[in-house]
Amino acid sequence: MKIFTKDNKISSLVATNSNLIPVINRFGILLGFKEKTIEEICLEKNVNTDFFLAIVNTYTNENYFPEDELLSFSPLLLIDYLKTTHRYYNQYVLPKIERLLAAVMQTCAENCSSLKMISSFYQKFKTELHIHLAQEDEKVFPYIIDLYHNRVLTEGKSIRKYEDEHTSVEEKLSDLKNLVIKYLEPTYDPSAMVEFLNTLFQFEKDLFDHARIEDLILIKQVIRIEEELKTNAAR
Amino acid sequence: MEENVFIIHPSEIVRKGLALILQEYFKMEITQLSSINDLNSFAAITNNLIIVIIQKGLVLPVETEERLRKNNQFFLISLSASTDTEGVTDGYDYDLNVLASNLEIQKLVQVIRKSASKTKTSNTDNGDLTQREKDVIRQVALGLSNKEMADKLNISIHTVISHRKNITEKLNIKSISGLTVYAIMNNLLDISDINPEELI
Repeated sequence: MKIFTKDNKISSLVATNSNLIPVINRFGILLGFKEKTIEEICLEKNVNTDFFLAIVNTYTNENYFPEDELLSFSPLLLIDYLKTTHRYYNQYVLPKIERLLAAVMQTCAENCSSLKMISSFYQKFKTELHIHLAQEDEKVFPYIIDLYHNRVLTEGKSIRKYEDEHTSVEEKLSDLKNLVIKYLEPTYDPSAMVEFLNTLFQFEKDLFDHARIEDLILIKQVIRIEEELKTNAAR
Repeated sequence: MEENVFIIHPSEIVRKGLALILQEYFKMEITQLSSINDLNSFAAITNNLIIVIIQKGLVLPVETEERLRKNNQFFLISLSASTDTEGVTDGYDYDLNVLASNLEIQKLVQVIRKSASKTKTSNTDNGDLTQREKDVIRQVALGLSNKEMADKLNISIHTVISHRKNITEKLNIKSISGLTVYAIMNNLLDISDINPEELI
């Protein structure tokens, strides 16, 4: 576990945790860093350094919780980032997982009914995830943007009402994994399954970190704005 | 249970040196922090073994320590200088002297691990499902509510809930659709009994 600071080289960040490559790509920062520090590259790409550090450290350390001063950047930055991530899931990750699952199915010659159940279950998970992502894009984020710009509380609306959505999607993904590992008869090509599972595991971790960023940073920021407005209104 | 070791000390020499020794012998996950308040960023850890080593005489932020102690196996070790009075003082669980030998450091870690594993709850009953649990899983897959299941199987709702909890613990499957897939894959249920569309 290491907490990165602005003076660290960006190459060391990626060398420590290669899972961060897609994360920093979403900031428009691509490989080929040379000797640049995190601060230098953020300056160059016009990325808020505090924001960048909060994200990469939250991704790297499961137990890391950004200090208050790191939460001072605008929630709009974070929303942009989260939206980019959603697009990445929808356009790249989910189709890839689906392709790999289809490839596994193709290698099954007989007794494929269990595998078909797994495939149905995956579809169920995917539908739920789509709904969840769309709910955030269409309801939660606009609520926050509106709150941020107009600084007015709406009766009956609050960020807490939007919470608690992650768990069921994560539950299904974990179930899917366990069903394959523990109960699915191996009537498929093992190598094809390895590719599918690797991608699935990676996605599970990514999704988990993504949820943590929403819960630990975004929701916390919004609650702070809401409470500020409440106090002002009471005066 | 994961182990988290925090070395909090203003001196980089001390931090790095101690971290090196601990890593060499125990392959522990070590976080080095220069200020006590940096630990606040980690207050959300739960269900881990946490060992925090700080300079003797210093105390952790009260709220953070309370939270970590409540949710983890938590041990606070004071790192005393050679000139300090020896032994454990109030507020710390163990004491480590900067002049301690490798062997003494290893001993200390072993003592801590032992005392942590003692209090760890055992959850090793990972056998097959009982007949009753299979009955319950079948009803869950068919979409019955806990109340309906209790009536049908002639047991109390409380018992249904306890069966469901045990099933989830044994199988590590939580969602209803996941349990349905399990039931079909293990021939507890025929695919014609359910509507596969519903699963989709």
